[in-house]
Amino acid sequence: MTSLPQYDPPSVLEIVDLEFGYGRQPSVIESCRLSVASGEVHCVLGCSGGGKTTLLRLIAGLERSRGGTITIDGEVIEGPGVHQPPERRPVGIVFQDFALFPNRSVQGNVMFGMRGIPRRERAARAEEHLDRVGMLEFASRMPHTLSGGQQQRVAIARAMARQPRVMLLDESFSSLDTETRTEIRAETMTLLREARVATVMVTHDPAEAESVGDRVSWLDACCRRDDPDGKACIRD
Amino acid sequence: MTSIGARTGRPWVLGGALASLVVVVPVLVIFSSILRSSDGVWAHLVETRLSVYAGNTVILAVGVCLLAGVIGVSTAWILATYRFPGSRLLGWAQLLPLAVPAYLSAYALSDLLQFSGPVQTWIRDHFDLVAGEYWFPRIRSLGGAIVVLSFALYPYVYFAARVAFLEQSRAALEASRTLGRGPLATFALVGLPLARPAIAGGLMLVLMETVADFGAVDHLAVDTFATGIYRTRFALESPMGASQLSAVLLSALFMLIGLEWLLRRGRRYHRTGTRCYRAEGIVMGRVASVAATVLCATPVLMGFALPAARLGQLAIEGGDTRGGGMLAGLAFDTAWLALLAAVIAVVLAVVIGYAARVRPGASTAIPAGIARAGYAIPGPVIALGLLIPLGWLDHRINDAWTGVFGDGWRPGLILTGSVVAMLIGYQTRFLAVSLSFVQAGFSRVHRNLDDAARTLGSGASRSFLGVHLPLLRRSLIAAGLLVFVDVAKELPMTLMLRPFNFDTLAVRVYELASDERLEEASTAALLIVLVGMIPVILLARQVESGLGSDTEIERR
Repeated sequence: MTSLPQYDPPSVLEIVDLEFGYGRQPSVIESCRLSVASGEVHCVLGCSGGGKTTLLRLIAGLERSRGGTITIDGEVIEGPGVHQPPERRPVGIVFQDFALFPNRSVQGNVMFGMRGIPRRERAARAEEHLDRVGMLEFASRMPHTLSGGQQQRVAIARAMARQPRVMLLDESFSSLDTETRTEIRAETMTLLREARVATVMVTHDPAEAESVGDRVSWLDACCRRDDPDGKACIRD
Repeated sequence: MTSIGARTGRPWVLGGALASLVVVVPVLVIFSSILRSSDGVWAHLVETRLSVYAGNTVILAVGVCLLAGVIGVSTAWILATYRFPGSRLLGWAQLLPLAVPAYLSAYALSDLLQFSGPVQTWIRDHFDLVAGEYWFPRIRSLGGAIVVLSFALYPYVYFAARVAFLEQSRAALEASRTLGRGPLATFALVGLPLARPAIAGGLMLVLMETVADFGAVDHLAVDTFATGIYRTRFALESPMGASQLSAVLLSALFMLIGLEWLLRRGRRYHRTGTRCYRAEGIVMGRVASVAATVLCATPVLMGFALPAARLGQLAIEGGDTRGGGMLAGLAFDTAWLALLAAVIAVVLAVVIGYAARVRPGASTAIPAGIARAGYAIPGPVIALGLLIPLGWLDHRINDAWTGVFGDGWRPGLILTGSVVAMLIGYQTRFLAVSLSFVQAGFSRVHRNLDDAARTLGSGASRSFLGVHLPLLRRSLIAAGLLVFVDVAKELPMTLMLRPFNFDTLAVRVYELASDERLEEASTAALLIVLVGMIPVILLARQVESGLGSDTEIERR
């Protein structure tokens, strides 16, 4: 288990009073607060349908908030009158079902997010990222020929290749068998901490949250019970 | 599990093979004409018209595929991805052009846009111009035909693309956004490539319909293979020359189908994502909404609203002077002919489809494949391919009759002089339509039911009557309805195969429109549009149910 940091480093991701609801329906998320520092892993626990995925989609810019602000490195990316589109946010996301592009090879998937650099360099960088997750030998394979764990690794490499400041993991390990899950989870966390990425991971499994999270908070239909020392909250 | 019924079901297999003859015979007849002499007509055609027919057909096909492809894909993408006021209605309305056959569109639009039409007359009056002082695109041209056919046929692409877009994992599109690509790049790099196999399928249908079209190009004065075959048969009175022309066209079409099959083989994308987050689509801003509405409403206007409104106006102002009784007679003749053809098509499709179920393998898959390929054969080609063998058969029957009963009364042209030839011709082309519905219906009946029925002592036929038929009822009705409508709209084959003194609504409209008496033709034309609404409603319900299943996924 990772020990809690000794001091409060400046946070990369800062969410203040975030509010969200579909259409005219009542809010799903209300006065949500969250701050995640560089290299920190913040686990958000909650039952299914509790708005965990919605929170990640708000951070990624896939939904528009009703109120509150989301800041990354001091820049407001979501707030009153502000909505940076997802492609402009320094945010990576690993979907629950990985969402690899079925028409692109493993390497093609990883190269997809890199832009403005020559193709050869992109290919080389993609290989680096694949090597880091142990998938280099599968670079030319198509996604559907990979196992769930392998797809997971590619999805992480793809999200990391854009060098995001914030990484979002949406129940990303839940579809793997227990053994693979523990292994890939540990590798991923090491990778994310080394890259000093601020990570938000949602899960419904308290044991998983406890074992990987530097901090844990409980999302109870909304973030109202958000607690910086969340671990106590879980024991309730 | 096929072991139980390994030796039963033989009559079904034989029946399926026989049913596919409706496609095999005309094709063989057409190709056999290559070996025969046409008394110089072929050499004459090669020297004079062949390059025109081939050039126009190719340009028309490529142009329509491009334009219909762009219209169909862009409307499908907008309506599948975004939400704006009226987007649901527009999503449904995109299917309306299917209710107006291309030839009716051509009649109505050329009437509106020609020199003496209301649009140009208004321009001249309003701006005080005379002929030659202004430029206006000529509707009776290759370009005009491309535009008319594209707006009539784009719904095939729209429908295929929309289903594909809705089935796409929304997560893959969102992954693209979070990886730094904007909405347009996401469409081009993820949405479009994933839908490509479906779009190619829709384009193949557009291509076949374009090449097979007779009425629209005939009216718009564009010489294609279809009109060329008709003219060689009737103006040059050379069935052999027309057959040889058909053989060239069929070879090209079959090569295209083969090519598409080769390209498509093994190119199906596997779904990697399963979740659908937002079936209701992304909400659009005000300016974007207006642009999207204009973009999605224009094709409906061109392909449905304008032609239908013009026909309606003409029908109210004038209409058929021969009165309602004559029209009712035509409608009745059309209806029973189409009904008979539909029933036969459903029965044949059931035989082919069930044979493939009780005896999976080449002996049943090949007849099914042949029957489905029949849709690619243009009407005039089918008519030629049937007239020759049926005419021969008619003569043999009469010879045999004279041989047995002497030189008195003769039975006459039993096949070519009655609706029999037409009914066979409709099977050649539209058996594919009913077969696709019947096969889809069979695929929804679980194989365990067959095995259960068999282990309970039912043979293949009793299993079919007791188990499959009740479960297939809806598919069979849908199949019959679509064939009914296709037959009711069919023009070139009916024109070439009908017996004397037998007209359908389509033939009546064609004859009047050819004489520039569109006003009189308008009433019958409107009836055809009305009948054409049936499949639109059927398809629209399918689109709606597609949406339903999406929201179901979301709810889960």
